[in-house]
Amino acid sequence: MERGYWIRSKPVYSTLIWNQQATAHLVVAEGVGGGMAVLKLFQQMHPEHPITVLYADHEQGSVDYSATLQRVVPEGLQLYATDGAALQAVKAYLPQARMGLRIYVAGSEKFMWEIAGICTEYGIENDEICKELTGTLARSVYCVHCKGITHDVHSNVTACVDCGRMLFVRDHFSRRLGAYMGLMVDAEAPGVLPEIEEIYP
Amino acid sequence: MSLLTVTVAAIEQVTPLVKHFTLMKSDGGALPAFSGGSHVVVAMNINGRTHRNPYSLMGSPGLNEAYHISVRLQEKSRGGSAFMHEQIKVGSSLQITYPVNLFALAKRAHKHLLIAGGIGITPFISQIEDLRRTGAQYELHYGYRSPEHGAFNDVLKQRCAERAHFYVDSEGQRMDLRALFSQQPLGTHVYVCGPNAMVVAVLETARALGWPENHIHSEQFTAPPMGEPFTLRLAASNMEIMVPAEMSMLESIEAAGVDAPYLCRGGACGRCELEVLSTNGGLMHHDHFLTDAEKASGKKIMPCVSRANCGYLEVNI
Repeated sequence: MERGYWIRSKPVYSTLIWNQQATAHLVVAEGVGGGMAVLKLFQQMHPEHPITVLYADHEQGSVDYSATLQRVVPEGLQLYATDGAALQAVKAYLPQARMGLRIYVAGSEKFMWEIAGICTEYGIENDEICKELTGTLARSVYCVHCKGITHDVHSNVTACVDCGRMLFVRDHFSRRLGAYMGLMVDAEAPGVLPEIEEIYP
Repeated sequence: MSLLTVTVAAIEQVTPLVKHFTLMKSDGGALPAFSGGSHVVVAMNINGRTHRNPYSLMGSPGLNEAYHISVRLQEKSRGGSAFMHEQIKVGSSLQITYPVNLFALAKRAHKHLLIAGGIGITPFISQIEDLRRTGAQYELHYGYRSPEHGAFNDVLKQRCAERAHFYVDSEGQRMDLRALFSQQPLGTHVYVCGPNAMVVAVLETARALGWPENHIHSEQFTAPPMGEPFTLRLAASNMEIMVPAEMSMLESIEAAGVDAPYLCRGGACGRCELEVLSTNGGLMHHDHFLTDAEKASGKKIMPCVSRANCGYLEVNI
């Protein structure tokens, strides 16, 4: 990539940090990386206001932070087997929440933007949500030709799941769709493709 | 800046201190459309000097045959409110700017919490029209000094019914901002317009309770603070003028015939920002636009409300 090249719409993620003014905290995380992000959050402090932690512990691999989380999180920890179940829990939580709640999300980009989408329905803008990208750089890619979205893309060029066109994955990001723009890469010279490389492991 | 010429069609004394003016286009026809929370700047010729004050538009944004503004007579008037109260009669002609909205409703809000103090009720009257039209969820909390100073409270009671809450200071009724802000549903936005102490209290309470900055909106039309006179050098115009104690830098620049940009004249919008080239004193920033770091850098100034404590100040205009 050209040095100094930068696309304004590409999100920049930080690390989870407690908001000191919040009157309630909702922490949502998935996977091993998300679990570590939550543990790091509790290394900062144990806030005095109510805490809810929704954790999708779906990677039953060599590392499992759920037992550590159960020891560290003082209250409100709920474990889910899938991302989808954690998202449902967010949906169930938000209707009774009040202003002063701050939301923290750690996980894949897909997971974070699915939660941001749910929050938008409750009038919470995505820049109010503290986000930490963990685990994977995999991208969701929006096909500008057929409007289909291909998830978990790890390479610079990918086939659209819906129309099969070979798409070049750009840095232009849609917060509404939670996906990067994908453009047909061989439109002018059919079948002539650049080298396909994994760059979003 | 292009102006509209309007004629005063009606004047109503609303409270002992507030007059309501109905303005119609002098050459007939419709006035430009506006959105709830908009204001216009009224230019007044006071003793040969042009004085400009911003006033919120209070009418229904959907109706454009007339504009409605209300003017509170200020105890320490710099001339503007006294001029509007004493000199302007039905049939008088005024020059006003096109409407500008620096206090717009957040379209994605799920609930709107409107907090007004005294004459600060005016921008909410047009906002409430927009909220009623769109069926949005809102609450109005309106505080004023004493029963006779509750401008438009009858109209508001009728339009807002149970959504309006009134607090009469002389009867010991106070808003409990902490309690109010603690029980709002997610997606609520708060808007405040009123005396400085009230605006500060709302901003500080909302922030202290974890409200994100983009859910907090405020508007204040404060008169530019007075200060010591100083010499102002206008580098690009190659002029040197005096800023008297009772005039703002912006007013002084305008009086010298230099066309300076402005919108809110209250230190909020940033439109009038000027580059500071040199000074032999200290800048006195009174705006809400520049960041603390920008203020400290001494490179920029908002001439509508800020001034300098100096012998001379050189700006790039």
